[in-house]
Amino acid sequence: MSSGARSGPRIVTNTVEFPYRRSLGPVIGTFVAALARGQILGVRSGERVLCPPLEYDPDTGAATSGEFVAVGPVGTVRSWTWVSEPNARHPLDRPFAFALIQLDGAGTSLLHAVDAGGEGEGAMRTGLRVVPRFRAEPKGRTDDLAYFVPEGAETTDPGVVDGATLAAVGGEPRAPLEPVETMEFWSSLTYKEALSAASERYARSLLAGRLLGQRCPTCAKVYVPPRDFCAIDGIPLNEGDDLALPDRGVITNFTIVTPVKYPGQKETEPFVRVSVLLDEVDAPVGQRAGENDLPSPARRPGSEGAEGQRTGENDLPSPVRQPGSEGTEGQRTGENDLPSPVRQPGSEGAMMGLQPVVDVSNEEVRVGMRVEAVWLPEAERNADELGNRGWGSASGAITGWRPTGEPDLPVERYIDRVF
Amino acid sequence: MSTDQGPSGTRDTVFGEPIAIVGYAVSPMTEFAEDTEVRLCLDVVTRALAASGLGRKEIEFTCSGSADYLSGGTFTFVANLDAVGAWPPIRESHVEMDGAWALHEAWVRLLVGEERTALVFGSGKSSTGDLSRVLTLQTDPYYLAPLGADPLSLAALQARALLDSGRATERDLAAVAARALRAAVTSPHALPALAAAGASGVGGGDSLDAQIDALLTADYVRSPLRMHDTPPVTDGACALVLATAPVANRLAEEKGITPVWITGLEHFVEPHQPGMRDLTDSVSARRAAQAAGLTDGGPVEVAELSALYSHEEIILREALGLPDGCEINPSGGPLAANPTMATGLVRVAEAARAIQERGVSRALAHATSGPCLQQNLVCLLDRQPVGQEAHTSLEGGAR
Repeated sequence: MSSGARSGPRIVTNTVEFPYRRSLGPVIGTFVAALARGQILGVRSGERVLCPPLEYDPDTGAATSGEFVAVGPVGTVRSWTWVSEPNARHPLDRPFAFALIQLDGAGTSLLHAVDAGGEGEGAMRTGLRVVPRFRAEPKGRTDDLAYFVPEGAETTDPGVVDGATLAAVGGEPRAPLEPVETMEFWSSLTYKEALSAASERYARSLLAGRLLGQRCPTCAKVYVPPRDFCAIDGIPLNEGDDLALPDRGVITNFTIVTPVKYPGQKETEPFVRVSVLLDEVDAPVGQRAGENDLPSPARRPGSEGAEGQRTGENDLPSPVRQPGSEGTEGQRTGENDLPSPVRQPGSEGAMMGLQPVVDVSNEEVRVGMRVEAVWLPEAERNADELGNRGWGSASGAITGWRPTGEPDLPVERYIDRVF
Repeated sequence: MSTDQGPSGTRDTVFGEPIAIVGYAVSPMTEFAEDTEVRLCLDVVTRALAASGLGRKEIEFTCSGSADYLSGGTFTFVANLDAVGAWPPIRESHVEMDGAWALHEAWVRLLVGEERTALVFGSGKSSTGDLSRVLTLQTDPYYLAPLGADPLSLAALQARALLDSGRATERDLAAVAARALRAAVTSPHALPALAAAGASGVGGGDSLDAQIDALLTADYVRSPLRMHDTPPVTDGACALVLATAPVANRLAEEKGITPVWITGLEHFVEPHQPGMRDLTDSVSARRAAQAAGLTDGGPVEVAELSALYSHEEIILREALGLPDGCEINPSGGPLAANPTMATGLVRVAEAARAIQERGVSRALAHATSGPCLQQNLVCLLDRQPVGQEAHTSLEGGAR
């Protein structure tokens, strides 16, 4: 990822890659295998021959016959377009035509590339007769069929030959074809998006060594990072709803991830990811007075558009007001050390998911453990890894969460705050 | 809405009640939205609900259409649910398709009768990724995607086939584009840059012919297509609110809403391989229109077509057999704004707008999916809840 420094929004860049391996099946696998012999196959389906060959006839859904028929090598261009500026995914790195080519003997057309030679686009026309060119050294892949050229054209590309040349070195033409089993396809997509206004405030706050959250004035849920909307009420929020959060909390859930090898995986040893429920916060002084007046969300009279439709919600009190947690309130150990948890009317602690830990072994991590953030020195902090998604990544600013050494908090209090 | 029981209520299930659009909203269209997709959704969902007179908690079914490949984030569609306030849990579904197919699912649900209100939305920020490359990945992974068969190239093959058939000329394509640019000038849902381009053409006093002449001087981007024949990369979202007749009529009476009745809604699909079908026709669009009951009612006065490329409008016009005088894409259509995954749903909203705001009696909305008009959906909208017999596709589906 990278970030731009212009006056507009920070641009977040991500590249997502999938190394696909696909089974080809008996029909496409045979088509690919035949390319190594300089041969293009169709498959018979009723009265017609389908090329490219398919397992099922697209018109009827019936299984095709399994009877392969060599088609071409000459074919007719049924439609075409000129690609004057090929991209990296295209089969040729010089201007070429995409064409629908009906090979002699086939009832359908194959999409492929035509290298029109020095004449370029001027050589192309519907009805043009073309012949295939194959990789001189086939690899058992679909691109063993390299491209087509106008019939009678000289081949100048050293890596490709015509079908007859390949057939001569391709071994017994009558020997049964062994279908190619799989193909590989590397998908790589790069995405760019603006870091949202809320994510930008969060990023700046992290660089300054402060966790930033956002409280919904309707339901009092606190989100970290700010998102400028409340997912419960479906209403927009804004900067005025932001609040600074303590960088201490309690582990409410964890998982130990055993890394498997895949492209991009940097971890080699099992590692822990924890959910941290941040301590609740004293609201900024200016907001406090009003806040104490907030009734609990379920009983809120004036929430817009929701009036009268909140029946049923009383059955679902917000987590901090669970009867169970009220029951344990008086028994808390170390409660006095905490910055007024659960006492803030109309607010609740914020959750950060999938956080790394430091200074503690995997085996020691447990629900109820008190932790605090370990910040990178200010000069080493960066917001490069931050995007608009996630459950509160603080990567680039916080290296992880370490035990404070305080006594654990009761597990049962966090039964509803696991994620 | 005290008389309306929720999904768990005890009221009777009524099959096949007429269904109306009672609210809709279309986001501003931009080439690059700085806001997140969920915020785009939140905006249109909030405004569509406000237009309908229904509250969030009165919605009994929610369905959305989007594609995670556009955003590059796994489960983006789940994040988008944050726009509807899905707590306490709601009945919800998603299609990895244009929002018009989410509309189809919601419409079927309402026909079944267990639910009486539905929220539908479609969204996409196609600026985020390389749209051409993303859409290449929706092609057949064996024969097409490895060639980098991009949507523009596939569209150009179809355009050439149409020109070769003698049923259209490059000038006809440019005429479609010129009309789209002119419509963009007054459309509230066109990309501002295209509206400005349209305004400069009109403002310069150019006749339509002169404007077409000017367009034809441009270079090909993929012959025979020029830039003006192709859709702009667009970020946007759209939401609709549906209600069955008892609710829609109550909203009309109590809140002054003008219901727009869905009198037919069908979709058909064709083979994927572009070399295995007649690219100059749209058999699936024709069948969808027939099954939806296009010929059963009065003439369609406005058609909003998801013609992403100018030649597609010509193919669709023929395939649908739209009457002379039918106004096509008064909104500017996808050539003026193409928010992938919402484009088809926007057509439905625009067709509804023509009925609500311009006094049109009957309108058609079309959505498409896949390369070269592979799959097509037709939605018929009426000012009156007529044409109920066209609701079920059994007859059309058997053909």
